[in-house]
Amino acid sequence: MMRVLDFAAMNTAVILAAEARTGVDDALAAARSFIEGAERRFSRFLPESELSALNASAGDWQDISKDLLEILLACAAFHGETDGLFDPAILPALKNAGYDKSMVEIRATGVSPRSGVPQPPRSRFGEIKIDSTRQRVRLAPGMQIDLGGIAKGWIVERAARLLAEWSMPCAVSAGGDMVFRGYPTDGRAWRVNIEDPLDPERAILGLRLGPCAVATSSVTKRTWVQAGHLRHHLIDPRTGEPAAGNGLSVTVVADSLVTAEVYAKALLIGGQQEYSGRASQRPDLSYYVVCSDGRITTGPAEIEQLPSLDPIHFEYAAPHV
Amino acid sequence: MTRIRLTSVLLRTWMALTSVFSFLIGWAMLAHAPKPTQASAAAQSAARPLPTLAPLAPLDLSGNANGAASSFTHLDIQQPQGMFGGAPIFTTGGS
Repeated sequence: MMRVLDFAAMNTAVILAAEARTGVDDALAAARSFIEGAERRFSRFLPESELSALNASAGDWQDISKDLLEILLACAAFHGETDGLFDPAILPALKNAGYDKSMVEIRATGVSPRSGVPQPPRSRFGEIKIDSTRQRVRLAPGMQIDLGGIAKGWIVERAARLLAEWSMPCAVSAGGDMVFRGYPTDGRAWRVNIEDPLDPERAILGLRLGPCAVATSSVTKRTWVQAGHLRHHLIDPRTGEPAAGNGLSVTVVADSLVTAEVYAKALLIGGQQEYSGRASQRPDLSYYVVCSDGRITTGPAEIEQLPSLDPIHFEYAAPHV
Repeated sequence: MTRIRLTSVLLRTWMALTSVFSFLIGWAMLAHAPKPTQASAAAQSAARPLPTLAPLAPLDLSGNANGAASSFTHLDIQQPQGMFGGAPIFTTGGS
């Protein structure tokens, strides 16, 4: 039997689960404390956070923590690997689209009007200078970064690692981005349902998984109306506007949550061309795309299984089992 | 001529006797065969009549309750709140 602790953090619902054994409550409390502390360091909505200090220092060198350095190095690697589709430097465009405060504040006070002033050319994340030896970075003048999903993935992975040192098996989920360590007590698999992006009360696909990480990006979750237009938080770095592909949500299963986070976002922004091309070259991850026309595309590992299965029907085992 | 008559008598006699013996053998076999009224109790219980089946529900080809076309089939799975084999069931849908 597992002990479960759920609470709100990072603007979403967090679930911690670990095998009930001596000390598990202390482990859950420690993992929660870590998550809440990390959120205070990497949130762009908190002016006293380390990330806010970094954004305020654009143009100058800024000393940073070892953890932030690790996240920024991962950002740089994925920015190159995705040919820029993953770009944390889209923050000015995100603010211009109306996401300049937390979703809680937007829902409470409404969205900011779109700036009529033409936006200056946006810095790309590739312009960042990282000095690993001296543990400092320099953002290009005018550059602002949003670590968003990748920071959440890093935090959840670290929390799961912390929890696993105390009690296995265990799982950590933050708003549906999750890490599983070990197998559930009954020796079977972790069960994960993928929501219908148009009706979160319903699941459209069920997965049975072994130790792995799962992340989902969706254009229907964090949405708002700005000047009569429905907007969402996934900015296409190529246009500086919310992505306009045919995908409603992309779920990625991978060994690492940071990888899953990045690829879920990149596939959703890049669209069909990305998940039939780039993702098909990554046999270490699986993806499930819910398209606006109702189709579900999966791949690349499951492609060979599909002819005998209706992909809309509930429950088949992903290759990580 | 006499030889032909003799052969004819012998043949008739053989046919008559063969017919009589065949009739008697058949009689004896039927007389010793189990009759329907002598079936075992197990066979009788297996032969009980089946209950009448409930009528089938009417077939709905409309796709959903209001008859509108559905782009894809939803599975009526409730949002997982419970546990499965001692572990929670998770949901992913973005945040």
